[in-house]
Amino acid sequence: MTQAQEEAGSGNYLLEARGITKHFGAVTALRGVDFHVGRGEVLGVVGDNGAGKSTLMKILSGLFAPSRGALIFDGRPIRFQSPHDARDLGIEMVYQDLALAENINIAENIFLGREPVRRLLGGWLPLVDHKAGRDHARQHLDNLHIHVKSVEQRVGELSGGQRQAVAIARATAFDAKLVIMDEPTAALAIKEVGKVLDLIKGLKDRGIGVVLISHRMDDIFYVCDRVMALFHGANFAEAALCDTSRSEVIGWIMGTKEGQGELAHDRVH
Amino acid sequence: MTVSTDRSRTGNRTEAEAPGLGIRLLPILDRYGILLVILVMGLVLYALQPDVFFSWRNITNIFKQTAVNSMLAIGMFLVILTAGIDLSVGSVLALGMMSLAVANAAGWAWPIVLLLGPAVGLATGFVNGVGITKLRMPHPFIMTLGMLFMARGLANLISGGVPYTGLPDAVRFLGSAQIELGELDGTRLNLPVGLIVTIVVYLIFWVFLEHSVLGRRIYAIGGNPQAARVSGINVDRVLIFVYSLCGLMAGFAGLMMAGRTNSGFPNAGIGAELEAIAAVIIGGASFFGGRGTVLGVFGGVIIMGLISNTLNLNNVSVFWQQILIGLIIVVAVFLDVVRRGIGTRR
Amino acid sequence: MNTRKLSLTLAVLSISTTVLAATAASAQSILVDMKGPGAGNPFWAAVERGALEKGKELGIDTVVLAPPTESDVAAQITQIEDQLARGIKGLALAPTDPNALAPVVEEAIADGVPVVFIDTQGSNEGVTYIGTDNVAGAALAAKFICEQLPSGSEVAILTGIVTQSTGKARADGARSGLSGCGLKIVAEQSGEWDRAKGLSVMENVITGNPGIKAVFASNDNMALGAVEALKSANMLDKVMVVGFDANPDAADSILAGEMSASVAQNPENMGALGIESLMKLAKGEKLPPVIDTGTVLVTKDNAADYK
Repeated sequence: MTQAQEEAGSGNYLLEARGITKHFGAVTALRGVDFHVGRGEVLGVVGDNGAGKSTLMKILSGLFAPSRGALIFDGRPIRFQSPHDARDLGIEMVYQDLALAENINIAENIFLGREPVRRLLGGWLPLVDHKAGRDHARQHLDNLHIHVKSVEQRVGELSGGQRQAVAIARATAFDAKLVIMDEPTAALAIKEVGKVLDLIKGLKDRGIGVVLISHRMDDIFYVCDRVMALFHGANFAEAALCDTSRSEVIGWIMGTKEGQGELAHDRVH
Repeated sequence: MTVSTDRSRTGNRTEAEAPGLGIRLLPILDRYGILLVILVMGLVLYALQPDVFFSWRNITNIFKQTAVNSMLAIGMFLVILTAGIDLSVGSVLALGMMSLAVANAAGWAWPIVLLLGPAVGLATGFVNGVGITKLRMPHPFIMTLGMLFMARGLANLISGGVPYTGLPDAVRFLGSAQIELGELDGTRLNLPVGLIVTIVVYLIFWVFLEHSVLGRRIYAIGGNPQAARVSGINVDRVLIFVYSLCGLMAGFAGLMMAGRTNSGFPNAGIGAELEAIAAVIIGGASFFGGRGTVLGVFGGVIIMGLISNTLNLNNVSVFWQQILIGLIIVVAVFLDVVRRGIGTRR
Repeated sequence: MNTRKLSLTLAVLSISTTVLAATAASAQSILVDMKGPGAGNPFWAAVERGALEKGKELGIDTVVLAPPTESDVAAQITQIEDQLARGIKGLALAPTDPNALAPVVEEAIADGVPVVFIDTQGSNEGVTYIGTDNVAGAALAAKFICEQLPSGSEVAILTGIVTQSTGKARADGARSGLSGCGLKIVAEQSGEWDRAKGLSVMENVITGNPGIKAVFASNDNMALGAVEALKSANMLDKVMVVGFDANPDAADSILAGEMSASVAQNPENMGALGIESLMKLAKGEKLPPVIDTGTVLVTKDNAADYK
C-alpha cells in the first residue's frame, strides 16, 4: 500500500504538503504542489511574482483552504479552519509588511491577541498583567539575543530591523514549531539584514522549522538548508544548498534548468 | 558647565541619545500636560472673576454643564481610537431622551423608563457597528451620518416632534440631583450627582482601556487593524462592541440631559457630536487612531467647559466661544504635529 | 519643546484674556437671555436694543446674551446657570425650549431672582409673559387677506414649527381668520421658519394647487421664500403673499410690490417692557400674567418705517 508507506514516511517531516491545488474561480494558482520542511530546517522558497509562493504560504498558515491536496503536520493529517488553528499547532507567520501596531509597545505587540491575564476580585475582573507581559517579553528577547532599549518602547520608535526582530520574537513567543517568513528582509536597510538572518539561524538552532520566502540570493545562501522553486504554480526544482549554486537557482526562478538529471530528480515524488 | 560634565559622564553615548531636559520631560508633559493647561486657564479665569470663579457654585456648575459632553466624548474617544468616527451621537442622545420621555408619558414604570434611554442608545450603536463591519460601509462616516438622520427622524416620529415634560425624580436623579454636603460661610455646598457619575464613568473607562484585554486590543486595532487581524483578533466583533458602547454612552447622555431639563425635547443634542469630537481632539487623541488617553479626553471636556463658563460669566458673545474652541482645536493638533516631529527625530 | 508648547498655550489664553478684559461687567445686573443672537437677526437685535436703551434710561446695568443658534438649548441653560452663580438681580428670558428651561428658571426663582418670559412663554407657573399675541397678529393678517379676495378663493398657510407655541398660535390665528371669512384653505404645510424650506414647500403647494390666490406665511423668511417660488413659476402677480414679523427684507419686498403685507411685532417693546417689569417685581409690585406688546399690519403705506 503506497499510501500507508508514505504516511509512515511523513513522520520524518515537521510539515508536509501533498498535491496542493488551489483555484480562485477560473484561475489556478497552485497545481499539485508537494512540499516538506523538517525540524530545525530552513527551507528557502523562490519563484517569480505570481509563481504561487504567497498562495502556498497562506495555505500553510491556514488563511486559505486548499482546493485539493493534504497537509500533514507532525505525522498527522490536518485541516485548518482559520489561522487560529494553525497557530494553535505552532505554525506562525511573519509578514513582509511588518504586522505590528506602531502605537503600542514592544511587549504588548509580542503578546497581542494572547495577552497574559491576571484575575482580580475572585476572578470577576480579568485584567492584562502588564508586568508579566514585560517580564516575559524581556526574557524572550534575551533568549533570542534581540537588543532593545526597553520592552516599553513604542514599536513606532524602532528601526525596520528592530521591528522585524520584534515580529520574529512575536512569532516565536508561544512555542512555535514552524515559522513562515514572507520576504523578512525586503523592507530593511542593508546593515540590518544580517541581524535578522542571524536571528533566523538562531531559530534553527532551537529546532524550529523555518520557511523563508525571499528574492535575495544572499539571504537564501546564508541561512537555508534547502531551496525549492515554484514556477507557474507548480514544483519546478529543489535541491540541498550544497548541491546547487546561485546562478542555477536564479535560472529556476526564470524557468530554465541546466540538465535533464535535475528534472528527473525533481519528479521523484 | 553642567552640560560638559554631563557629556563626559555619558561619553559612550552619541549626542542624540543623551536626553536633554525637554526630552526627559516629554513623556510627563505628554501625559499630564493637559492638566497644566487647565491649571493655567483656571488661574487666568480666577484673575478675571476673583469673586465668582472659584466659588463652589461655579465649579459645580462647570461639572453639571460638562456632564453630557463627558459621556458623549468618552464614547466618541473609543470610536476615534479605532480610527473611526460616530456622527450620530447627538441624534442618538435625542432618541434616547425622547424614548424615555415618551415611555414615561405613556405611564411605564420608572425603572424601565430609566433604562430605556441607555438601552435605545446601545441598540442604535449596535446597528452602527453591524452596518460598518458587516455591510462593509466604505467609512464609518457614511453609516453614522445615515444614523444621524435616522435617529433624529425616529426621535421626532415617536414624539410627534413635541416636547414631553415632567419625569419622576428617580429618572432625573443622575442628571439633576444634588447631594447636600452641608454649609460653608452661609453657602450651601451641593455636590451634583452628575459630577460623581462623570468621575465613576471615567475611572471605569480608564481601567477598561489601560488594563483590560479588550481595551488594549482597541488600541492595537487603532494602530494597525491588519496586525490585530493576523494576531487572531476578531476586529469586526471589537468594532461592533466599540460602536455599541459609544451608542450606549450617547443614550446615557440622553438620560442625563433629560434629568437636567426634566423633559425630552426635539432639538436636544443638535451639533453635540461635533462638541464631543472637539473635546476628544483637544484632549490629544489622534484622528488616525490608536493614540490618546482617558485623562486627555477628560481634560478636553473640561477645557471646553471652562471656555464656555468664563465667557458666560464675562458676558461675552457666544460667537467668541465658537471662535476660541475652533482656535484651540487647531492649536492642539498643531502642538501634536510638533510633538510627533520631535518624537520621530528622537 | 515644552517651552514652545507652553508659550503657545499662553498665547491662546492671552487672546481670550484680551477679549474678556474688554467686556467684563459689574456683577449686579439684569440678564436678558434671548433665543438667538442679535447679530444677523433684526428681531433679536431689536429686542436687545429695546432692553439696553431701557436699562440705560433706568440706570440699570443690562447684560444681553443668547445661545449661538435657536436650537442650542443646552447653551442657554448653561448661560443662565453661570450668570446665576455670578449673581444677577433679574432675568428676562426668551426660552429656546420652554420645558427644558423650566428647571433652571426654578433655580433662579429659588435664588430669589425675579423672572419674566419675553417673546416665548415658558412653562413655569406664575411667571409673567411679555410678548406678541400671535393669534391676534395672525388674525390681523387673515383679515387683510379676506378684504382683498372674494369668498371661496383658494389660500394656503405656511406654518412655522407648530410644536412651538408661537408656530401653533400663528397657524391657529390664520386658520380661523381665513376660514372664518369664507376662504378655502387648500394647503397647510410647515416651512420650519426657514426661507429655503418655505421656498420648496411653496413650490409643491403651487404645483398641487395652481389656482391659489393667497398665501399666509408664519414668518417673513418663509414668505420671502414663497415669493421666490411664485416668481420662478410666473405666478407672483396672481398670488398675494402675507408674512409675519415685518423684518427689513420683508419691508423692502412690500415696497417693491412683491409681498403684499406683513405683521409687525414690537420686539423693542419686549426688551424694554422686560426690563421695566423686572424692576417692578424687584420693588414688590404685582404683574399681570400676560403683557401684550402689540401687533401692527404693515402694507405699502407704512412699510418704509420698517426698513
